[in-house]
Amino acid sequence: MKEIVKVSLENDMDLILAHKKAMKLCELTGFSLMAQTSIATAISEIARCAIEFGKNAVLILGIESAGTRKFMNAVIVDSADFSHKCAEALSYARRLVGDIEVIKSEKDARIILKQQLNFGGTFSPAKIDSFVDYFEKEPPMSAYDEIRKKNLLLQEFADKIRESENEYRTLTDSLPLMIFIVNTRGIITYTNKWLEQFLGTIPKEINSQGWQNFIHPDDYPSFAKTTSGSLQKSIPINGQYRIQEKSSNNFVWHMLTVIPLKNENETVHKWIGFMVDIHAHKLAEQALKDNVELKIIQSKLFANQEELQEKIVALNRSNYELEQFAHLATHDLQEPLRKLFFYADSLSIKFSDTLGGSGKSMLKNMTSAAGRMKELITDLLNYSQLQQQQLAFERVDLNITLQEIFKDFEILIHEKKATFTIDPMPVINGNPLRLRQLFSNLISNALKYSKSDVPPHVQIRHVIEDDHNIFHVKDNGIGFDDQYKERIFGLFERLHTKDRFPGTGIGLAICKRIEELHNGFISASANVNEFALFEVRLPCEEKSVSKQ
Amino acid sequence: MKTLTFILVVDDDKEDHLILQDYFSEIGLNDYLTYKENGKEALDFLESLPEQNLPDLIVLDLNMPILNGVQTLLQLKRSPRYKNIPVIIYSTSENENEKRKCLSYGALNYVVKPSTYNGGLAIVKYFGSFLGSTQLAP
Repeated sequence: MKEIVKVSLENDMDLILAHKKAMKLCELTGFSLMAQTSIATAISEIARCAIEFGKNAVLILGIESAGTRKFMNAVIVDSADFSHKCAEALSYARRLVGDIEVIKSEKDARIILKQQLNFGGTFSPAKIDSFVDYFEKEPPMSAYDEIRKKNLLLQEFADKIRESENEYRTLTDSLPLMIFIVNTRGIITYTNKWLEQFLGTIPKEINSQGWQNFIHPDDYPSFAKTTSGSLQKSIPINGQYRIQEKSSNNFVWHMLTVIPLKNENETVHKWIGFMVDIHAHKLAEQALKDNVELKIIQSKLFANQEELQEKIVALNRSNYELEQFAHLATHDLQEPLRKLFFYADSLSIKFSDTLGGSGKSMLKNMTSAAGRMKELITDLLNYSQLQQQQLAFERVDLNITLQEIFKDFEILIHEKKATFTIDPMPVINGNPLRLRQLFSNLISNALKYSKSDVPPHVQIRHVIEDDHNIFHVKDNGIGFDDQYKERIFGLFERLHTKDRFPGTGIGLAICKRIEELHNGFISASANVNEFALFEVRLPCEEKSVSKQ
Repeated sequence: MKTLTFILVVDDDKEDHLILQDYFSEIGLNDYLTYKENGKEALDFLESLPEQNLPDLIVLDLNMPILNGVQTLLQLKRSPRYKNIPVIIYSTSENENEKRKCLSYGALNYVVKPSTYNGGLAIVKYFGSFLGSTQLAP
């Protein structure tokens, strides 16, 4: 049935309207004045009952096509069945119109009055549409009619809005992103289901607690700054923040977008915001960034390796040069020195008579100078060999080492009337030759730097402390100013003139190097004219045994 | 019957030549010394000698140009013609490794060049003791 016009049936005024509309449609569809009156009266009769006994009755007038025939229909529909209360009206109406049907369903009950149109074939669909137009544009039949009409329109709009809002809600609720609406005072007026589930909250709570409960503490300052700035300037907000998921307590990266909505006056009246999960994207981005950093580190590492390689080459070159120097020292320097000794000796023997006393004395001085040079060359050679050497380690009984050293210094000890206090020495891992050189140098110094009027007394002590063998070699000699206690281990460092205390200034540098090769440490302390004390620390479990 | 014997000294140091020469003169053996300046010259010279005229002793310095002492020693000891001639290394170096190496390659002895007059004299007398040893051979 094509619906032409609708009248809701609530009061007597509606009854008059229903009658008038029915009369008009009958007139438009070409019924005679008598037929118009009959049909309108029948409709009015049923409408009257509907108003009296129904709940929310509506009269719908329309045209129904059945093949070539057409009928004018009046349908009175109500959610309550009132038909049994209007039997009298029905029987009266049946005498006025051709056909009356009563259809009852669970939803509603309807009474349909049907009257065939006389010239059905002449009513084209366009013509029927023009009837609808007519009733829509028809001037109000009365003030009441006008109000009714407007009410009806409003009702329809309200229905449409409700429907649209439902659709909109269903849509936003089904989207996997957080949607919310904020008014100009920053109050959240709407949130979709996803947001409520994700944050585990409702707008009222967000409004009372504020956003900082949901945003990562590290991100909140940036969020607060961005949003307040944008709200003032009425410009869209964009940002990436970690939002806490209620169900897992995890922070998940989201992209936040909030757009201002403006009314026709171009003023912002609310803001629509949404947050999209971009965690996977963020992770990928981070991985990519890490990758770039890794590449940078790799290239740095590569550069470092190249630099290291260059240094190794330089070191090898310098080691080679050192070897060359050692060779030079052993051979080329010693060769002319040997000849000097030889000629001096030959001179003094073969030409003893012609040389005389002063000639011999000069030769003696020359030989002694050559002797100092030989000593210097030997020390330098020792030192240079220690620079490149990796020592072979074995068990060394330091008691035996000390005995050997005392034998070497036998004459000097006797001359100086030196005395010793010696602890029992341990057996340690090390290089026997170098350890002997170490202790020999220290004892030699203790004997050498003695006071001229006090016989030297040397204490050699041993204790174990923190997994280290600690040796003290302490004398009662001339000592030195404590400020020099580090300098004295440097190459060619001398604190005294050669006249008083001959030496090359290499001895302690050699000691320091030997200590380093044993993973140990040597230090000194002293007081002028009281003592000099050298402390030698060697690890008990000498790991550098593997250096062999 | 072999009559002429001599000692071949291979050393590039002219001063050492002179020193040895003086010593040999002192003990009257000056005519029994022959000098060559490096290993190559020495080997070429030996090549030119008939078998029966090879030296009683070869004294080798180590540090020489062209063909050094160790290389010369190896060539001598590998050669059937020379391997039985005694070779004494005569060097300034007191390096123990060097000494061990030379002895293992077949040197009879390793003598460090002297730094005293009497030391030199003893060495020269030792060298002289080899003279005429081949005269005893049939």
